[in-house]
Amino acid sequence: MGLLSILRKLKSSPDQEVRILLLGLDNAGKTTLLKQLASEDVSHITPTQGFNIKSVQSQGFKLNVWDIGGQRKIRPYWRNYFENTDVLIYVIDSADRKRFEETGQELAELLEEEKLSGVPLMIFANKQDLMTAAPAAEIAEGLNLHTIRDRLWQIQACSAVTSEGVQDGMTWVCKHISARKK
Amino acid sequence: MKLKRFLLRYYPPGIILEFEKGGELKTKSIDLLDLSPDTDAEGLIAEIRSTEPLITASRASQVKHLILRLQEKLGQQEDRRFYLFKALQAHILPLTNVAFNKSGSSFITGSYDRTCKIWDTASGEELHTLEGHRNVVYAIAFNNPYGDKIATGSFDKTCKLWSAETGKCFHTFRGHTAEIVCLAFNPQSTMLATGSMDTTAKLWDVQTGEEMATLNGHSAEIIALSFNTVGDGLVTGSFDHTVSLWDIPSARRIHTLIGHRGEISSVQFNWNCSLIATGSMDKTSKIWDAHSGKCLIATASADGTARVYRAASGECTARLQGHEGEISKISFNPQGSRVLTASADKTARLWDAVTGVCLQVLEGHTDEIFSSAFNYEGDTIITGSKDNTCRIWR
Repeated sequence: MGLLSILRKLKSSPDQEVRILLLGLDNAGKTTLLKQLASEDVSHITPTQGFNIKSVQSQGFKLNVWDIGGQRKIRPYWRNYFENTDVLIYVIDSADRKRFEETGQELAELLEEEKLSGVPLMIFANKQDLMTAAPAAEIAEGLNLHTIRDRLWQIQACSAVTSEGVQDGMTWVCKHISARKK
Repeated sequence: MKLKRFLLRYYPPGIILEFEKGGELKTKSIDLLDLSPDTDAEGLIAEIRSTEPLITASRASQVKHLILRLQEKLGQQEDRRFYLFKALQAHILPLTNVAFNKSGSSFITGSYDRTCKIWDTASGEELHTLEGHRNVVYAIAFNNPYGDKIATGSFDKTCKLWSAETGKCFHTFRGHTAEIVCLAFNPQSTMLATGSMDTTAKLWDVQTGEEMATLNGHSAEIIALSFNTVGDGLVTGSFDHTVSLWDIPSARRIHTLIGHRGEISSVQFNWNCSLIATGSMDKTSKIWDAHSGKCLIATASADGTARVYRAASGECTARLQGHEGEISKISFNPQGSRVLTASADKTARLWDAVTGVCLQVLEGHTDEIFSSAFNYEGDTIITGSKDNTCRIWR
């Protein structure tokens, strides 16, 4: 990647090139999702101490996906990455019920951010391969998603490990980028 | 004119004359860029005396002593191996750039965590944290050779000037409308130049903190800039594929160097300000005549390799092959005998500048290395990485 390539990706992207921000609490599965999108091995993934960037071709778009670490001490730095975002993807660990309140709080704060206003929101209810996972509908209700009126949003049940549901979510993402980029 | 004293400069070799003229203290330098341990000192003195009236017969023995001292320094064996001296858990997010002060006694690191930190090289101790930026601290610099001030350029669109001793912020320079990604002090340390994603470069007065000029002309982001040794010229490189040469007193553009077919990644003057070297994402580097703006040499290189060229002839003298990823930084040691490269393959490598042989692979970082630097003596290296650490090698 290198520093210069990061600068190049920082620019507001030309048509057909999209900047996607991938956020969520630590251990939500953001990096696994990123690697799954890039068709890479997902068996050895460690907590992200900074960020990862990957470019993925999908449905005629070049998706530049920024995966930012989710640990509490680095969440205040998410704002570093808001500029020029075309789509926000928010990842939730559906099996970690104890932290639904915390993840809801972080999401609510993101939606208040001026630089992300109007940016389409895709929520992945991740880890559906686990027995204890809450269904997407329950999460949507818990997070009061139906009260979001200032942007397009969608929730998608998925498993980043098995890839189930990931493509469906990305199809929604690509469909709604085009609306925004035009 | 009365000669007051001599000052010695090791890298590049030269003798500085301090003299009095009309009651004012002035300096001029005799550059001995081609000096080697085998140069005939007597012949050189005769040559200097024929053009330099300040060097009288009575001073000749002193000058000879200085030349011998420079030759001794140049002849010193330097087949030093570098060992990891310290790994510093420098920041909680990836590092961007690193820089030494002139003596190498301290260095600075910039980070995505919005701070710049000042470190003591010998102890690895953190001396100050420069806090105040509201986004990534990307470009950093000491005002060498003085080293008493530090400038930081940030994605928050501002640049700040700090005291290297106390960590206090002197000025915040506001005016750019996008991220600041490169900056440089002029050699006199009276002026600071910043380059921005807003396509402009700006000149700032270090003393007052006022904006002095805006350099308009590029049609895309400016990502590299460099002053010449005198400080009256500035070169800027842009994502618009061109390089511009600016006259500092008038803040006017003198030349536009057109020829690269990709974004410019790096620009640099040579010591005597006659040549400009540019690197580009088109995988080539070019050398330009600084006065006419003509391209003298174009050279191509492949991914993950670096090359050394003779500037005068354009001949490729060494190929540095071995890195398994993009090279993010390249620099010579001050003696010019070694090349240091930092790469996305998590290693930094040290090469013999003449033969191109890889002398050492500096391994240990667990993620891409974004930056690397030699100190002035060439006996210490620092590397900054995406793994949030910084390593000192000596």
